[in-house]
Amino acid sequence: MKCESCNKRHATVHLTEINGNEKRERHLCEECAQSLNNPLVKMPTPADILSSLINQVAPEIGEMSKTTCPACGLSYLEFRSKGRLGCPMDYTAFKKGLVPLLEKMHGASQHIGKVPSRAGKELVVKNEVLQLRKELDKAVEKEDYEKAAKIRDRIFELSASEDKKDEGTVQQDG
Amino acid sequence: MNYPPAKIKKMRELYSKTGEWLRGTGPESDIVISTRIRLARNLANFPFLHRATEGQRKEVERLVREKLKEATLTKDLHYVKLSEVSSVDRLFLMERRLISREHAGGDGERGVAFGKSETISVMVNEEDHLRIQVIRSGFELRDAWKTIDEIDNTLEEKLHYAFSPRFGYLTACPTNVGTGMRASVMMHLPALGLAHHIEKVFNAVGKLGLVVRGIYGEGTQALGDLFQISNQFTLGKSEVEILEIMEGVVPRIAGYERMARKALITENKEQLEDRVWRSYGMLKVARMLSSEEAMHLLSQVRMGVNLGLINDISVETLNELFILTLPAHLQKLEGKEMEASERNVIRASYVRKRLGAFQ
Repeated sequence: MKCESCNKRHATVHLTEINGNEKRERHLCEECAQSLNNPLVKMPTPADILSSLINQVAPEIGEMSKTTCPACGLSYLEFRSKGRLGCPMDYTAFKKGLVPLLEKMHGASQHIGKVPSRAGKELVVKNEVLQLRKELDKAVEKEDYEKAAKIRDRIFELSASEDKKDEGTVQQDG
Repeated sequence: MNYPPAKIKKMRELYSKTGEWLRGTGPESDIVISTRIRLARNLANFPFLHRATEGQRKEVERLVREKLKEATLTKDLHYVKLSEVSSVDRLFLMERRLISREHAGGDGERGVAFGKSETISVMVNEEDHLRIQVIRSGFELRDAWKTIDEIDNTLEEKLHYAFSPRFGYLTACPTNVGTGMRASVMMHLPALGLAHHIEKVFNAVGKLGLVVRGIYGEGTQALGDLFQISNQFTLGKSEVEILEIMEGVVPRIAGYERMARKALITENKEQLEDRVWRSYGMLKVARMLSSEEAMHLLSQVRMGVNLGLINDISVETLNELFILTLPAHLQKLEGKEMEASERNVIRASYVRKRLGAFQ
């Protein structure tokens, strides 16, 4: 059945209006039904549906649902329904919700890998230490103690140079 | 659409040749066609593209384009504004793997820079502000990584990337965050397909954090027994760690494919020979070939050449034919837009010519 308003799309909303003794049936597509502005017809938005679903599974998202990025104005729920973030700041604004999500997605939420040189030398060192710790675990697992000792020495070396500089705290995110 | 003459000349140069990564050289090149690494990068001071205004989008495009020119990543770096070329040209660049399917189909201000040998390309304003890509012939992960790492360093001096110590390189989609790196290896696996072992491979690979896709990326079909194996996770592992995993897995899949080929030859030699030669024959005599059929037949012949069953054609020619017989390439070779049925005739005729068959 075609929508009786636009005559183009498929009618998916079927209404029965009662005015006094008069009964009238209407068959509309979703878009035309929306434009009627009838509160009864108002479709729940994908975000509404999503939040009601998510609230049952992951209650912390209910809390996040009120969060909006101050920089780009994207809301956490919009992000969850579209799967795309709006700007680099979102990673800070939505951190609480993102960390468990990233854990699920990647099995981790801490970056280990390349660091742009402008992010600072201390960060390069910090990441190298993180990387070395993983290698150390691997070497121990393989019972390659010679290699493990070398890695351990390197970690000490790097940590010592870090302490000497007394750089203070490294910014955690943002 | 009217292009400035210089642009037409540049595009024409592309039509008549293919990229270096199709050479059929490099380690494991009987089975590994090419190795590709891409890095997703965004500028710190702009929203991600889908939230950017048209003005911001233009500004990002202009900024990145200018910096790319300054950076002199390679000799003859050529920049194409995708908003200024036809849809066939965009499809052509996609078939060439210089841009993604999304980039070809998208809209707004966006572009791609690539070098003459087509081993380096930088997509501007795809899903992320920058998608840097390096492609090599054969299995060359380390080499590709070294090149792309250097390009990234050079660009980083000129552009302020969005980066966080906690989450790494920040991307529009959280599936790319961290290293922003996707390494993929294109493999030709006809025997595993024939022996119905391919599913087993996919399952095993999945457990190691790798995924298998069709040749043009996410959601695309595996045509011509060509598969892309790539890393799924980008966060929590360093670039080199990810490459190490792939270095462990890819040669094993290649070994598995070789075993399956050997088994086919020892157990069912006549059948295999028949299949390969029939495919070769079909390519030499067919008067109409769909893109899919051509891919399928080329795949069989390529395996035949690798197994020494066919000696009068090179793997390089076959690799090239995989690309040159795609819809946009054919239209460019003919110099006109054509319907599918007309393309099928031209495709068959072109393949016959390249295979030295009777016209």
